[in-house]
Amino acid sequence: MPKSAKRVAEVVTRQIDAERRHEHRFLVNEGVARLVMRTTANNLPLARDDRPYQWSTTTYCDTPAWAVYRAGKSGAAMQLRLREYHRTRPRDVFGSGTLWIEFKDDDEETSLKERFGVTNALARSFLRGEHVLPEDERRLGERAQELLANGARPVVVTQYNRLAYSSLDSSLRVTADHNLMYMALPWTSSDTGEATALGPMLGMEPRVVIEMKWYGELPHWASDLHEYLKRESVGERPSKFMIAVGLLLGETDGQAT
Amino acid sequence: MAALAAGEPGVTAEATKVVVVEDDPASADVLRRRLQANGMHVDVAGDGVGGLRLVQEVRPDLVLLDVMLPDTDGYDVCLRIKSDPETADIPVIFLSARGEVVDKVRGLSCGAADYVTKPFQAAELLARIDAVLGQARNPRAPRLARPLERSASGRLVARLAIADQALREHVVALVAPRFDLATDPRADIVLVGERDEMPDDTPEGVPSLRITARTPRADEAHVVTADGHLARIAELVAREQRLDHDLQAAAEALIVLASAIASHDRPSPGHSERVASRAVQMARVLGLDESTRMTIRLGALLKDVGNARLPAGLLTKHGELTSDERAQLERHPVLGEEVLAGFHRLHGLLPIVRHHHERLDGTGYPDHLKAEQIPLEVRIVTVADRFEALLVDRADRSGVSEAEAVRILQAAVGRGELDAAVVAALATQVRSGGAT
Repeated sequence: MPKSAKRVAEVVTRQIDAERRHEHRFLVNEGVARLVMRTTANNLPLARDDRPYQWSTTTYCDTPAWAVYRAGKSGAAMQLRLREYHRTRPRDVFGSGTLWIEFKDDDEETSLKERFGVTNALARSFLRGEHVLPEDERRLGERAQELLANGARPVVVTQYNRLAYSSLDSSLRVTADHNLMYMALPWTSSDTGEATALGPMLGMEPRVVIEMKWYGELPHWASDLHEYLKRESVGERPSKFMIAVGLLLGETDGQAT
Repeated sequence: MAALAAGEPGVTAEATKVVVVEDDPASADVLRRRLQANGMHVDVAGDGVGGLRLVQEVRPDLVLLDVMLPDTDGYDVCLRIKSDPETADIPVIFLSARGEVVDKVRGLSCGAADYVTKPFQAAELLARIDAVLGQARNPRAPRLARPLERSASGRLVARLAIADQALREHVVALVAPRFDLATDPRADIVLVGERDEMPDDTPEGVPSLRITARTPRADEAHVVTADGHLARIAELVAREQRLDHDLQAAAEALIVLASAIASHDRPSPGHSERVASRAVQMARVLGLDESTRMTIRLGALLKDVGNARLPAGLLTKHGELTSDERAQLERHPVLGEEVLAGFHRLHGLLPIVRHHHERLDGTGYPDHLKAEQIPLEVRIVTVADRFEALLVDRADRSGVSEAEAVRILQAAVGRGELDAAVVAALATQVRSGGAT
């Protein structure tokens, strides 16, 4: 379909990062995670939009030539992903009434994210290239369209329980992801309207992934926490997408697979 | 009355099977005695790996799972149970000394049916076990419901030819739970009133039953009383007929085709059978239903039937093929589809026959399909075919190990040729040693 024929989707909700924000990931053991989250809870409220320990299911897209993954290996990548939230763990994707289409532009230190809450049908239509999303000067949507034009489609899924704390002005967000799993996705078609069953598990993360995201300067307590995490972490973690695709291609050893 | 299982007084052969995963031997022993005293069959594992192995072997009705285990944690074990389509419906109850709200929420969000904190009263634990098992056995329990099969509903269709209004309504009420009712001739069975005529337009081969309100005589083989057994009897008759049809058609086709193939030289005897077996196991890992697995099996067996129409000697030619010869060879999927097109019962596997040499990046043949234009069943057979080919020696190279073959196929995924999820299913299947 020519670009001019594409319709701009009706979006239920739109959330945009005001500017690029710092983003650091740490892999820690359970004891360290509990201490970190206790400290965080003393300084930040629970994130209003995140139900504690809800299941977050993220479906990542890539092209047959793995353009996103290859770009990620060189340190920067534009991710196209779809997120769903559930109280109990689903065994499929695209089964929700509302999905979040997310564009995320990563570099070594910072990230920029834009996300759109859309109906299930519209998410499928977007993947088929029939709809575009409202655009602004950052042009993340345009880059996502390029990926879709190059054959990007859902390839891999992560699931985890997230506990999120966030300052009221969203300038600082600290999250802990438990029970992180990586799954293959035998994608069949995006136009049947049926949910797609998850494929085999590629790996599990027995430890906890802590993410700190912030704008500007960290408050003192958070700066101390950041230092503590750097000391105590098993290592700074690459993105979940990079690990998932690495497992899929046999380029990453599975954690407790 | 069920027989007693040897060695476990009071445990019946039909007893509820429970796997206990508990690293403290004393606690495990107390639990085992308590559950056995209540008529349950108990197997105990002392760590997560052993627990998962027991769950695979025993397929219990329930798993009691400690959170803190020596080799991993209970959450991990629970998620693995819930991630395997074969064990996902087995309810899990956590038993843990960790009693914080976050622990309970985390346990339940992993898919556990309940979370009991230690120390617990035996009576409370047994009550919770009963409640969980009761819900698991309730077919309408939403959280334990099995996922819908991906194939068509599979419900049988019955056609009624009963003039008597009262008898007709009674029969409808009896068979509705198992049959869809139809008025046209394309039904799996026709239920005819005792004094009614069989509809003229009923196709040949459709079975029928005569329905009566009385008890039939011993010599009335196809007369059935309209009572609580009617639906089951009708279903058995219809399914038997359907199976007969399928088997007959498949057997005829297979005999014809196998003969055709056998008349030609084959580069690797038994290859199709190995591919079919491997593809079915991969399909099981991917959670595909039995009907789809059957399609995959037949498709894998018959995918190269078009070779029978290739010039003699082409398949076994040593040395490089000319461009003409390669073009001929690459016509075998189309030739195979032509051979099978006349078999109505085999239409479902034609895409496998035609497209098993397509590649996700569009560089395959004959139609240069891309990505999801290639049906999942085809992608599975393609991977199984390439995998099995890598394992055997050929004139130009030696066979490789299964692990090496998986690595080679993962590299092909990286090049965009093969489906990543399908190769992941293969890797899972190979890693499990074929025990899927």
